[in-house]
Amino acid sequence: MTSLKRSFETDPLSSNISSKVYVRSTKRGKVQKIVREVYLRQDIPCSSQICSICRSTAPSNAAGVVSPFVLSDKPAGTKAFPQGHYLVPDTNALLNAMDLFEQTSAFYDVIILQTVLEELRNRSLPLYNRLIGLTKSEDKRFYVFFNEFRLETYVAREQDESINDRNDRAVRRAVQWYNEHLAQTKSKQRPTVVMLTDDRSNLEKAKAEKVPASTLRNYVSGLEEADRLLDMIAESQERGVSRDKKAVDFLYPEYYSMSKMMTGIKNGMLHQGIFNVSPYNYLEGSIKVPAFPKALLVLGRDNINRAVDGDVVVVEVLPKDRWKEPSTKIIEEEAVTKNENADGDEGEDLVTEKEKRALQEEVKKTHSTSTEGHPQPTAKVVGIIKRNWRQYVGHVDQSSVSQPAKQGRKQETVFLIPMDKKVPKIRIRTRQVGELLGKRILVTIDSWDRESRYPIGHFVRSLGELESKAAETEALLLEYDVQYRPFPKTVLDCLPREGHDWKVPPSTADPGWKDREDLRGLLICSIDPVGCQDIDDALHARALPNGNFEVGVHIADVSHFVKPSNAMDTEASIRGTTVYLVDKRIDMLPMLLGTDLCSLKPYVERYAFSVIWEVNEAADIVNVRFTKSVIKSREAFSYEQAQLRIDDASQQDDLTKGMRTLLMLSKKLKQKRMDAGALSLSSPEVKVQMESETSDPIDVKTKELLDTNSLVEEFMLLANISVAGKIYEAFPQTAILRRHGAPPKTNFDELSNQLKVKRGLELRVDSSRALADSLDECVDPHDPFFNTLIRVMATRCMMSAEYFCAGTQAYPEFRHYGLASEIYTHFTSPIRRYADLVAHRQLAAAIDYEPMHPAVRSRGRLEAVCKNINVRHRNAQLAGRASIAYYVGQALKGRVAEEEGFVMKIFSNGFVVLVPRFGIESLIRLRDLAEPEPESTFDAENYTLKTSGSREVTVELFQKVVVRISDAKDEATGKRGAKMELVRTV
Amino acid sequence: MPLDTSTYNLALLRVDGRRWNELRRLHGQIRTQAAADGSSYLEMGNTKVMCIVTGPSEDKRKTGGGSTSSASVASAPNAADVSVGVVVAGFSSVDRKKRSRSDKRIQELQATISKALAGSLHTHLFPRSTISISLNVLSQDGSLLAALINAAALALVDAGIPMTDYLVACTAGSTSSYAANDDAADPLLDLNTQEETELPGLTVATVGATDKIAVLVCESRVQVGRLEGMMAVAADGCKQVREILDEVVRQQGARMIKEGTVAKSENVGGMDLD
Ligand SMILES: [Zn+2]
Repeated sequence: MTSLKRSFETDPLSSNISSKVYVRSTKRGKVQKIVREVYLRQDIPCSSQICSICRSTAPSNAAGVVSPFVLSDKPAGTKAFPQGHYLVPDTNALLNAMDLFEQTSAFYDVIILQTVLEELRNRSLPLYNRLIGLTKSEDKRFYVFFNEFRLETYVAREQDESINDRNDRAVRRAVQWYNEHLAQTKSKQRPTVVMLTDDRSNLEKAKAEKVPASTLRNYVSGLEEADRLLDMIAESQERGVSRDKKAVDFLYPEYYSMSKMMTGIKNGMLHQGIFNVSPYNYLEGSIKVPAFPKALLVLGRDNINRAVDGDVVVVEVLPKDRWKEPSTKIIEEEAVTKNENADGDEGEDLVTEKEKRALQEEVKKTHSTSTEGHPQPTAKVVGIIKRNWRQYVGHVDQSSVSQPAKQGRKQETVFLIPMDKKVPKIRIRTRQVGELLGKRILVTIDSWDRESRYPIGHFVRSLGELESKAAETEALLLEYDVQYRPFPKTVLDCLPREGHDWKVPPSTADPGWKDREDLRGLLICSIDPVGCQDIDDALHARALPNGNFEVGVHIADVSHFVKPSNAMDTEASIRGTTVYLVDKRIDMLPMLLGTDLCSLKPYVERYAFSVIWEVNEAADIVNVRFTKSVIKSREAFSYEQAQLRIDDASQQDDLTKGMRTLLMLSKKLKQKRMDAGALSLSSPEVKVQMESETSDPIDVKTKELLDTNSLVEEFMLLANISVAGKIYEAFPQTAILRRHGAPPKTNFDELSNQLKVKRGLELRVDSSRALADSLDECVDPHDPFFNTLIRVMATRCMMSAEYFCAGTQAYPEFRHYGLASEIYTHFTSPIRRYADLVAHRQLAAAIDYEPMHPAVRSRGRLEAVCKNINVRHRNAQLAGRASIAYYVGQALKGRVAEEEGFVMKIFSNGFVVLVPRFGIESLIRLRDLAEPEPESTFDAENYTLKTSGSREVTVELFQKVVVRISDAKDEATGKRGAKMELVRTV
Repeated sequence: MPLDTSTYNLALLRVDGRRWNELRRLHGQIRTQAAADGSSYLEMGNTKVMCIVTGPSEDKRKTGGGSTSSASVASAPNAADVSVGVVVAGFSSVDRKKRSRSDKRIQELQATISKALAGSLHTHLFPRSTISISLNVLSQDGSLLAALINAAALALVDAGIPMTDYLVACTAGSTSSYAANDDAADPLLDLNTQEETELPGLTVATVGATDKIAVLVCESRVQVGRLEGMMAVAADGCKQVREILDEVVRQQGARMIKEGTVAKSENVGGMDLD
């Protein structure tokens, strides 16, 4: 019998093999022990250009290309390291000050250790990705040294040593090795390798082991521009050093441990969801969880317990006697916490007196009406699964700044008030208060500890003067996470080499013509808004001999130019959509394609993807086909021009006749859609008119809707529906589709109650058809706008439509509620929407034009694409609206207008008015009515607010009012916008 | 949680510290069970398998008729059956899931191994008999099929069953996932579990040190352009594996001569035993 036991000594490789053992827990709570081999080696180079030792062993890839050495032979020196230096940050340095490392003025020649990279990945994936981005940048000279794989720098964990201590030791060991290694080189100017850490014990150990080390703060102090850079060091970590000495009072309850939360969620005691803050009350949040039909309320600072809008949190439902009603009162952080001192709130009570009072009134009200009132399930936050912190734009609260700081260079703690009202004030420390006042600035949140009332963050950069066009536009783009940087060279390299001279090849034998139909003979035209440059779609119609009509929708063939998975495609998939601001367009694709080569401009030949139907007189589809084609648009009309041409009876050419056919058919299509229960939901759209030269806004106009608008819309819907059916048939798992879920009935509870109480109208929400019909009945004979108002409000009760991958939903869930269509996708705007581009590729594969690229076939990848473009789509809409709001404010500058408005929401201390003329809505608070603030009684059952004393008015829901609109700067957000005053009720 | 395979390009190092063209530690032992006709134990990294060969033995076959748990190939009516059974121990993988013998994956493994071995063994010398190969998986860390083939080859050598040459197997992959259209992808030799789950890969077995391919199994999507590079690397890996296994066989032979189990002259024809 031979034993299988094998002693390690006999194995020549054994000294070079180690293993990494770690434990991970699965989603189901199981614990797994994972063992991985680690091969230790001596040929991992230091990557310093002064080193000749490592040259001989430098690794090469399969193609034999040797990776170049990264670290400079003449790195920058500082006072402390005149010979030059390489930096080795530890994990916390990167966690706290990633922004610093991204600076262009300093932080070159940085060695990132594998130990640090792994730790960073576990702590924060976004930061890890940013760091990976840095290592790829050639000029920053970041080198990743795999210290855990190098024999000399590998450190085994000792008994009773914590993981953190072991990792710190590994970092020190690597720094030590680097210094010893560089000492072996013959170079005279030998750079020092310096560890950057803020961990005190690590620093002390480094000192004992004679490893060069520095705190971030000390290091940065020795650089030029120290003041500016010092501000970017996270506030929390510095405090962390001194904190452990004194016991501090905790303001917030402690979070539950992860395992406790997981168990709680599993057995249904706790619930997980995304935390949303009410836009009218910063102390009220809600969380939608699967277990309850209605969102759970979270009221008050201690129940919110440091959750920030967008975080994924875990909540516990409170006992029933502590359930509350959603607030009927506007509570603004700015008004309540004004003049709080940014520097010292430690030890104070968590809830300030003022906040208490504001909430107290709420509770009183709840109790007095508790017989009729309906308290809702209320919960408290007990833990955070995932922070969704991003960078926030805001401005420094003037009142939190002390006088001397405005001139001096003393470090000061100030509040930053974010533009987004749902985000709490952020405390930042800065030495440059003087420069930051009156500027739009970008900050990040670093932490929010139990002993701090507000989150702590640090300054990232300044965008410019408040209210300056450049700063406000950039702020807006940052707030909505729009990628607005110019396209990088790698993307531009994917464009056709001919540039603007690209033409459809004259010879039909050219490969570009392969499987393309020649539709140049058709009388095709496009109809778009005035001045549209990126023309996605064009149409034609002609009578067929059998009495039917042939109708064609021709869409720009973007997928011909944008090949899957190249740099341009990747960039477009990240951008997801083109963003339209009032004075600016942030393109999804480079200009050359969007406004020229793809754009279906008139009089030139273009590649297109055509959907061609045969329809009968009743607009029923007889058959449909899809083909790649070459077209030549005869004319590019604006909606107005097209309307004029159709209406002008003297025009009898074939093109005009075709347009009349299209119009006739579109009306029938629309009727059919309406009969099927499609909703016509609206929000008043406005257009800002600009002076052509200065591009200053001069007026605001409500958008007019013509028949031709609806003409184009109907055929686009038809094309989208036809394509959706086709790609689903071909790819039942991976087709990219768009759905609009039916809204839960409870969403309409409030609106239908309001209609019943105020107008005696009934809102039926059983189906989209019923809803459409009952919305039609919501009319006020004296007031045509009333119906629109109700539609605007109903729209806000809806779910938002979303892209999805066919395999992720059951067929009945595909339904588009608003359009009353069984299946739907986006196909008609590939220049400005990425989803359409994917649909194009899938359709091309479905008609065997070209094989499906793997990237379009992988379901996991498509799901990720859908997730991203859903977010991008929403952000683009919000950014567009915010841009209009900004320009409406600018257009009103220096003017005062009296306009009609309608009350669309009512609180116990104010109400919201919508002004259709400008498409704006604004809050009028009691204290805006008169000075001093009038007394009021609020009848929540009847949605009526009566004031008495300094001013006597009665405001009811849906009421028509006249308001005076002027522009004013909102002190809270620093935004200029319309300010409304109540003139009279009508 | 350590890094994943996406960091390869940072320093041309794989998740376990290897370069693209390096095998894991390969350790093989022959004659581990004295009682068996042939036996072996093989480790490729943390993938550990055991093999026992019984036979060729006279047949009691075609009696039961019921489905057997092992796959067997009868190449010709007058040739021996090569019957392969694979048992995967529950504790061999991280999730500790017990795989039944009727598991599709295991049946496929058995069929692949059985078919491949039958091609190189001189089964016609043993009509109406069975060579049964029983494989036990003790620990899994990727390249399982390759390890099983290598272990079976060693055990068959130990059992002294005549063959044209013995099979050696190895896996190869690519540093870039299928969907990522990364032109600069490097091929990878000898995948571990993590690489196998995150990256495309294939298993190749060659007959001896030749380039003759006996097995090619690819269960993931691979872009056609990368296939050639991966196959070349795998075939090259097979040569390296062959050298290591040859050494194992030689050492065992030398030991047997020293112990006097076999006389030097009687030794397997032409083998160099210095
Ligand atoms: Zn070196």
